[in-house]
Amino acid sequence: MPERLACSLGAKVRRAFGQLGSVSWLLGKCLQACLRLSREQRRVVWEVTRIQIRFTALDALPLCVLTALLLGGITLLQVFGQLSGFGVERHISQILAQLVIRELGPLMVGILVISRSGTAMATEMASRKLSGELAALYASGVDPIPYLLVPRLLGGVMSVFSLVIVFDTVALLGGFLVAWLRLPVSFGFFLGALGEAIGRQELTATFFKCLVFGAAIPLVCTSFGLRVKHSTTEIPQAVTKASVVSLAVLLMAGAVLSVLIYA
Amino acid sequence: MPEPLLALEAVTLLAPEGRAVFRDLDWTLARGARFHAKGGAGGGCTALLRLCAGIAEPHAGRVVLDGAPLEPGVLHPFLRRGLLGWVPSDGGLAVNLTLLDNVALPLRFAQNLGRGDAERSALAWLEQAGLGPQAHQRPSVPGGRESWVASLARAAAKGSRLWLVDRPAGGLDAASIRAAERILGQAAQDPEVTFLLVGGGWMSALGRELTIGDGRVFS
Repeated sequence: MPERLACSLGAKVRRAFGQLGSVSWLLGKCLQACLRLSREQRRVVWEVTRIQIRFTALDALPLCVLTALLLGGITLLQVFGQLSGFGVERHISQILAQLVIRELGPLMVGILVISRSGTAMATEMASRKLSGELAALYASGVDPIPYLLVPRLLGGVMSVFSLVIVFDTVALLGGFLVAWLRLPVSFGFFLGALGEAIGRQELTATFFKCLVFGAAIPLVCTSFGLRVKHSTTEIPQAVTKASVVSLAVLLMAGAVLSVLIYA
Repeated sequence: MPEPLLALEAVTLLAPEGRAVFRDLDWTLARGARFHAKGGAGGGCTALLRLCAGIAEPHAGRVVLDGAPLEPGVLHPFLRRGLLGWVPSDGGLAVNLTLLDNVALPLRFAQNLGRGDAERSALAWLEQAGLGPQAHQRPSVPGGRESWVASLARAAAKGSRLWLVDRPAGGLDAASIRAAERILGQAAQDPEVTFLLVGGGWMSALGRELTIGDGRVFS
């Protein structure tokens, strides 16, 4: 019995490392491809990247703004509800800024990107592979790594950066709106307190989280999409695995970065 | 003896269910050779094309193209230069691109032509294929046989040196056959261009017969 348990645990660990290995391999191939692009190839890659940014960032803006506005307001309501008796109203914008910028902003944007674009990327890659489109691209001299994966990687990073900036701004504004309804705070005071709350650590954390989340989501999702082999019934399985694993990666990477930067 | 353009060396290929499609197959394709392959369903015609294009990976042995072996995960230099004309039975076009973009893409990506030049050349070949009016439509709009003919136009636009052409799914109408003959006939004017076509009928005129069956290739 202990042997079977050890074997089953070992298999899971081996599979997890295998998945990590295949994502790292894709990342390496993408970076290598970026360095070898010719001028015209760079133009093609940029055209595809722009389309990816439109789908991942621009089309997600309404959802991102709505989520941020509600989340900012609700967070402030909760904080205010819990701490109003302790005379911390003056620090409410600092608390909000640290919560949103340090943790909630990148995490919520990551979840939005996984649910909208990560699943779409996994589905697209799986369908293209099964329909023979990837093979046809390869045989026609169009390397699928620079043509399909590099734009998704670049688009993912740029989109997560842009969405996090929008999300943080709107969430803080949403928080201010709630604070303004309940407390005698001016916009100038709120901005001033925010300026004090946002330091180098917050900016560093946001930068690294955007970079890691923006790269990890497309890499994990395309990697799972590319694993389908024979049948269209594999596609939903691949998409489910892609979203679950990328969410796990997001949470773990977020925790590790927070510990490294703030501990 | 001149080096063949393509050589299959002791190639074994197994079907997903484990049956051997080819076992220890040795076969070469000389530069400028023209064949049309015939064989029963599941006989290995498409599998042979896929092996030659580097899309199917042999379980044993190797495929050598233009002096260098095809390796998994590595874009072969012959393919990287866009010299392979791959025309699968469904055309293999990207469904999110127009016919024009599908034909122009390898010219830009593999042959570094600027966008304007690539699109001009692509449009000229699509017009030859009788698909000028549909050039700005996605492959699903004109349909399967037009996608297949557009795929021929893509191979011709690149100046392919080796054509691997599978029979079109669902057959062709008279106009599409004329367009395909026109494109293939133009490519065939260069004696160095090599053809391996799968299908009978009108394709028979384009090369000698090759029979594929029982895991062997008989020329």
